[in-house]
Amino acid sequence: MKYLTLIAMAIFFFQSCKESPNMEIHAVTLELDKLPYKNLSEYHFFKGDINNLEANEGVLLYKPITPLFTDYAWKSRFVWMPEGVQAKVNEEGIIEYQNGSVLIKNFYYPNDFAKPDDGKNIIETRLLVKSADKWEALSYVWNKEQTDAVLTKVGDVKPVNWKNETGRAMAINYVVPNKNQCKSCHQRDVVLKPIGTKAKSLNSKLKYSDGSTANQLEKWVAVGYLKSNNAIEKFPAVADWTDENVPLEARAKSYLEANCAHCHSREGQARTTGLYLTTDETDRSHLGFCKGPVAAGKGSGGRKVSIHPGDAKKSILTFRMKSTDPGIMMPELGRVTTHEEGVALIEAWIESLEPEDCKQ
Amino acid sequence: MRITLIVFVSVMIMIACKQEIDTASIEVNTDVYNEIQEKLIDAKAGDIIEIPEGVFEFDRPLSLDGIPNVTIKGAGMNKTILSFKKQVSGAEGLKVTADSVTIVGLTIQDTKGDAIKLQDCNGVTIRDVKTTWTDGAKGTNGGYGLYPVASRNVLIENCEASYASDAGIYVGQSENVIVQNSYAHHNVAGIEIENCKNAIVRKCKAENNTGGILVFDLPDLPAGNGHTCTITENEIIDNNLKNFSPEGNMVAIVPPGSGIILLAAKNTNVFKNNIKGHKTLGVAIASFHLTQRKWEDKSYDPFTHDISIHDNVFERKGGITVPDMSKEFGKMISYYCSAKQQDIVYDGIFDDKKSGTNPMNLCINESNEDLRFTNVDAGNDFENIQKDIAVYNCTLDALPEVIFGEKVVIETSEVEEINK
Repeated sequence: MKYLTLIAMAIFFFQSCKESPNMEIHAVTLELDKLPYKNLSEYHFFKGDINNLEANEGVLLYKPITPLFTDYAWKSRFVWMPEGVQAKVNEEGIIEYQNGSVLIKNFYYPNDFAKPDDGKNIIETRLLVKSADKWEALSYVWNKEQTDAVLTKVGDVKPVNWKNETGRAMAINYVVPNKNQCKSCHQRDVVLKPIGTKAKSLNSKLKYSDGSTANQLEKWVAVGYLKSNNAIEKFPAVADWTDENVPLEARAKSYLEANCAHCHSREGQARTTGLYLTTDETDRSHLGFCKGPVAAGKGSGGRKVSIHPGDAKKSILTFRMKSTDPGIMMPELGRVTTHEEGVALIEAWIESLEPEDCKQ
Repeated sequence: MRITLIVFVSVMIMIACKQEIDTASIEVNTDVYNEIQEKLIDAKAGDIIEIPEGVFEFDRPLSLDGIPNVTIKGAGMNKTILSFKKQVSGAEGLKVTADSVTIVGLTIQDTKGDAIKLQDCNGVTIRDVKTTWTDGAKGTNGGYGLYPVASRNVLIENCEASYASDAGIYVGQSENVIVQNSYAHHNVAGIEIENCKNAIVRKCKAENNTGGILVFDLPDLPAGNGHTCTITENEIIDNNLKNFSPEGNMVAIVPPGSGIILLAAKNTNVFKNNIKGHKTLGVAIASFHLTQRKWEDKSYDPFTHDISIHDNVFERKGGITVPDMSKEFGKMISYYCSAKQQDIVYDGIFDDKKSGTNPMNLCINESNEDLRFTNVDAGNDFENIQKDIAVYNCTLDALPEVIFGEKVVIETSEVEEINK
């Protein structure tokens, strides 16, 4: 009898080892009627140790050519769709998703940017989930132990330290947005929408974890996430803002679109300012050339126009990009530091423009 | 010697005390913030979210989005005080993007940007609310106190707005607007109606601002060519404050000592106001051309026309008074009006596609015996400056009362439907 118990216990132990979460690969779980889950781990987007952020089966990496700046955080982005669900590229080049689709974005800081494999601090993982024809924004904040992330509605302020590429010690109070703030950027025509996945932003080659390299749009089609189409030809890639082989203007406009146009467009929340920083805007005044501010307050910095061609020091645009005062800075949300390299690019572009008088 | 020492010591104590109440001692109420913000996110249509009496320091902005018919209620102006002196994130203190919202009984102060911004709202009621910056009139204060924009059916009443570096109460690009019984002081602009259709400002007090009440219509905005505005029964007094708005902003052109400025305003009536104590002007009628700014919008109408100004009481600032010389607009009045403050000044710029002796259809009927009026003829290099007011002796019909449209108050059955 005693032996039997021991054997039973031994079998039990073996089985529990077998079922240990590290050993088993669990498929992605998404029951729309039970969302949001309290913990990020419940979705099983990542296999093995969750903090490796290693994509599970069907979770596909993507990367916009020119990303939004978020306090130098590194980001990894993934898309996941359930069986039988497929997105398509619409006439404007925006990817339109079906219900059940999820966009996943991790924000993390390697301890040392020069040695990204030597440990990292994951701050938050944001999800955009489409359910009942509406998008929902969910933010999960990682615990100190980095074993899981917990849903937050109200956001958070997290102290973060890292060493940057040049070895400089950096320290900031990273602000996790609240649910409403997600929408203030993720907005088109007053409705919450994804902003990063436009055909022109994904029309580029990407290296995948299996070592293969492919055009992202082609890859989406190959895995069945995107309806086959001619988007690659129809929506040429935006410029990579860091690529010094492309003209300054294309780089600058790509940067402005990625960092500003989610609000500063005809459909965005900042449409009331009349400043539209999309790559397809052709009206010079709406692009900010010699354009006076509307409701900038101290955000004008005493400068009279958004872009003073030929003179960055007279341009409100760069003044607000440089500032970290919440009442001045642009974008209004999503950073507490200045993106020095971004500012340098926009300054160089403005300086390169044919000088104008901007008589005011 | 002893007295000197006592004075010295007490001064030191005062300085020390002052430093003690400085920002360092203020603690951010993260728990209270989280509780209120969570309620705002989880609210159901029809909910009343109460904020208790007390001073609460927040480092992030509050926001309400998408949930209609919510009331945000404090214990009263000056009783529930939300302070944002330590704000690290957000361009406003409270941001609302939701229909039929009511904000009542609270004070919001020292936000880094605007105090309360409401955008894309159909139905806004702001009552018994105060917005202010507590360090006095500074260019580093936020731009706007109460700031509804791109909204419809907006009521602001019994409010107080002070020390904004742009406008205390600013309604922009909105339709059907009433601002009443409110007090705006020590702002650059007291109350500003910009690019709005159908607005009324009545029974308000605009005092000690740079400019009291402004009706502006600006180009190159989604909501262009605002029109139809009534300014009546207001006390517009001593608006002689130094203009502390940073350059570049539209209100940076306002000369200290301005009562009312109509800039590219259309179909606007100004009557039965007390306009007193201004060193530069009582009412200005100006075209957008006067700003010398450019615009691209072909449909924009830069002229001020169909204006009726009548039955106001004008009382110029007494003593030895010289109009403002700090702003172009003030200098213009000094140069072309013999350095004399004006009750009504008109830039004389008119649309040359229109003809007649009064092409912009301005009607002025004032009974003040020594009313000072000048048309400075700015459109014609100031060549034909006119003091004669008789040509404007006409009347316009009173403008209709602003009636709020549908959906301001949502019926209970509808609320149930939304909450499903």
